Amino acid sequence: MNVIVVAELDPRTRRRRLLRKRFLRRPVAVAGLVVVLFFVVVAIFAPWVAPHSSAFTDFNHTLAKPGSRYLLGTDELGHDELSRIIWGARSSMLVGVLATLLAMVIAVPIGMVAGYYRGWTDTVIARATDVLLSFPFVILAVGLAAILGPSLLNATLAIGIGSIPGFIRIARGETLARREEDYVPAAIANGATDRTIIFRHILPNMTSTLLVQATLTIPQAIIGEAVLSFLGLGVQPPQTSWGVMLQDAQSYTSQAPRLAVFPGIALVLVVLAFNVFGDGLRDILDPRTTR
Amino acid sequence: MSDVPALEVVDLVKHYTGRRRRVVHAVDGVSFALGRGEILGLVGESGSGKSTVAACVLRLIEPTSGTIRLNGADITHLSRRRMRPLRRQVHMVFQDPYSSLNPRLTCGDIVGEPLRLHKLAHGRALNARVDEIFDAVGLRSELRFRYPHELSGGQRQRVGLARSLILRPSVLVADEPVSALDVSVQASILNLLRDLQREMGFSCLFITHDLATVEFLCDRVAVMYLGEIVETAPRRDLFRRPQHPYTQALLSAAVVADPVVQRARRPVVLDGDPPSPLEPPSGCRFRTRCPLHERSAPQSDEEHPALREFASGHLVACHLVDRDRPAPRLVEDAADIVNA
Amino acid sequence: MLEVSDLSVRFDTDDGPVHAVDRMSLTLAPGEVLGVVGESGCGKSVTCMSFVRLLPETAHVTGRVLFEGRDLLTLSARELRRIRGREISYVFQEPMSSLNPVFTVGRQVGEVLQRHLGLSRAAARSRTIELLRLVRIPAAERRLDEYPHQLSGGMRQRVMIAIAIACDPKVLVADEPTTALDVTIQAGILDLMRDIRERLGTAIVLITHNLGVVADVADRVVVMYAGRKAEEAPVPELFAHPQHPYTIGLLGAVPRPYEGEGTRERLQEIPGRVPSLHELPQACAFADRCPRADEVTRSQIPQLREVRPSHFVACFHPGPG
Repeated sequence: MNVIVVAELDPRTRRRRLLRKRFLRRPVAVAGLVVVLFFVVVAIFAPWVAPHSSAFTDFNHTLAKPGSRYLLGTDELGHDELSRIIWGARSSMLVGVLATLLAMVIAVPIGMVAGYYRGWTDTVIARATDVLLSFPFVILAVGLAAILGPSLLNATLAIGIGSIPGFIRIARGETLARREEDYVPAAIANGATDRTIIFRHILPNMTSTLLVQATLTIPQAIIGEAVLSFLGLGVQPPQTSWGVMLQDAQSYTSQAPRLAVFPGIALVLVVLAFNVFGDGLRDILDPRTTR
Repeated sequence: MSDVPALEVVDLVKHYTGRRRRVVHAVDGVSFALGRGEILGLVGESGSGKSTVAACVLRLIEPTSGTIRLNGADITHLSRRRMRPLRRQVHMVFQDPYSSLNPRLTCGDIVGEPLRLHKLAHGRALNARVDEIFDAVGLRSELRFRYPHELSGGQRQRVGLARSLILRPSVLVADEPVSALDVSVQASILNLLRDLQREMGFSCLFITHDLATVEFLCDRVAVMYLGEIVETAPRRDLFRRPQHPYTQALLSAAVVADPVVQRARRPVVLDGDPPSPLEPPSGCRFRTRCPLHERSAPQSDEEHPALREFASGHLVACHLVDRDRPAPRLVEDAADIVNA
Repeated sequence: MLEVSDLSVRFDTDDGPVHAVDRMSLTLAPGEVLGVVGESGCGKSVTCMSFVRLLPETAHVTGRVLFEGRDLLTLSARELRRIRGREISYVFQEPMSSLNPVFTVGRQVGEVLQRHLGLSRAAARSRTIELLRLVRIPAAERRLDEYPHQLSGGMRQRVMIAIAIACDPKVLVADEPTTALDVTIQAGILDLMRDIRERLGTAIVLITHNLGVVADVADRVVVMYAGRKAEEAPVPELFAHPQHPYTIGLLGAVPRPYEGEGTRERLQEIPGRVPSLHELPQACAFADRCPRADEVTRSQIPQLREVRPSHFVACFHPGPG
């Protein structure tokens, strides 16, 4: 009775193709993704890509200029800059991704509960979020370091906790919006429990937004890690990170500015790439986008 | 057991309290009964409270006071847990075919959910029942695997109907089910609703602002204004002899798709805007816009008119109407919507 | 006065081209009320928005829109701005989103008067009060300083109409002006439109999906389907003698009151769906759903023919139902 001129492909494939088309129309976002993937690969395959370990030193060639033996030169202790950048990428990526994941796993359910139940629950959670927001994560990290000792793990924890309010806000906002859609009362009328509604109805409709938020939180976490390591609260030697490299480079700014420039460029590149890709992602996932 | 009304609402009140103690009188004392197999039309404009009544009946919200009885059981203040098993008996079709279906679930999942949630069937048996209901609402069973956004508005509304009827509820609440659809699609959904009601025998509370639809589908009609029922009557009576001035105005304002008839009519124009439900007028709520206000004052300013019987089965809440005293005709042709 | 010929609008979307309008033609005489009727997706809004190029950049418009002898589609942006709001103005469906919530009513009406007619602030204010009274807004002086959210839906729509007629336009295009309003308010707005036509002599293009509205207010009506004109006739003629099967279907789909005793008839349904507009069918667009379809209708595009006096149909098998 209802004659439909059926599209050739099933809906999933069509959507993927649509997203890919939109993505390819945004060369900047594509560039961002390429750079991100590049660094991710480098971070994962660091042991095989880096010419030397991060602890390696060559006292005969300290403060060497970039050359054939050491592509990016060495620092004052003879560490190979290139290798350290590569190992640093690993630290940054690790912290960036893990901290973000930690924040999401904790914050999203809390935000959803706040948005779904409203009332006192919402008020309490909102105030708690405000309290958390007023703590600069650096203080948090210092505190954690004092109690547990500085380490990459503790830095991850601190940054993760610092990223929680952002996700709570997003999760709460999305939940509030979805709650007003008619399929929620329909589910209630079906006899669904709150849990079913939250996890089966509301959460799947939030995934795009959460994905975009994650993509934009990771670079913040990376910067956070750099800051903490710069202050000595993050990665500890012999491991290295770009923040540590920047810290070490401080004393040699006049002699060998490249010691700060290289990790600086790496940091900027990664953060920019993530942000640009995240922006593009948000654009293409928006159903209102026409291009 | 057959004379227990499928749905009985007594003195239903729902107030929303906002900031600074401002109370929104969404529903203020509504009573009606829905018999078995009966279709009752609940007509009103925006702000009349009809959608709030629907939400209360489905216990999506909790009434401030009053009683709601579903097949004899008092559900007014039941907890969510106690209400769950009773949800098999009542379900709802929503106005918006776009937002009433979860875009992340396939249509088959959406329709099968009630069965799954009430643990009434699973696996092959569930699929069979989903197929059955798809067939009953006129959808091809391949559409089970499609997502809502791939279907047209009319098809989505059919999915909504399928979902609400799969458990064969005794009461179906339809809140403006066709308002968001194109005219030709409206016709097919209205036909479908009528057919299904005849086949399955459920009672239906049909909420709308469109009088022509009510005239087509409903057995009885109740007219709401500002949170109250002002008139209720069997369909023919209401359209032939509308009593309450608001009902008369509503009927005369509805446009008829016939230029000869339409242009000969002179609609009753109501003064001003509908009052805000924050501060309903004292006495008769309609008095601020009633063309007959001069005649009913000062009684209508002070005294709230009760729903009184005007004729058998025909109740009116107006000071000017009584058993032997019909309301003044506001326009000669108020009933032309019937004679068109 | 307004003559549209061969108007076609194509949108370039992610999924490919969408031919929203295909070779439409329209005429509007001074002081006439033309109803444009169709269901969603038929192209009625797109057609009318293309007169003064209100469509987004993804729209490609071809054809001619002659307004008092000049082709609007070829005018420069500056010349077009002088026409918009002044000679041809629009009223849309949702008054809440058409009115700026942060400016008072008086300011929004006044802005049009100041910009197009060059009135001073004081003159604009008094003219605004006149206009608000014309559209029957009570207590006009007070309303002047109120904000849109303080007014009801019907009032806001009246303000929209006031803005639209502020410069005494020759043409008023109203796109579903009463669809979002209550029935009792709708009657008032339609009455107002009739008033405007009588008092100001404005020609009105009334876009709607509601046949009752057309029956109430319009002089002539155009029925659109899938971007093409299906039928056109004076209003009494169309309702009394519909020729196109789609029009007949539409009229049959509207519930009518029933006095008889037995089972009442079903409403007329139109089976099938509107065809996708990605490709221009080289046949009658309605063929898939038409009870009168045959070889001819599936292979050729029907042209408009006059089958009764002033009554045009694009159909190979026109005739009563």
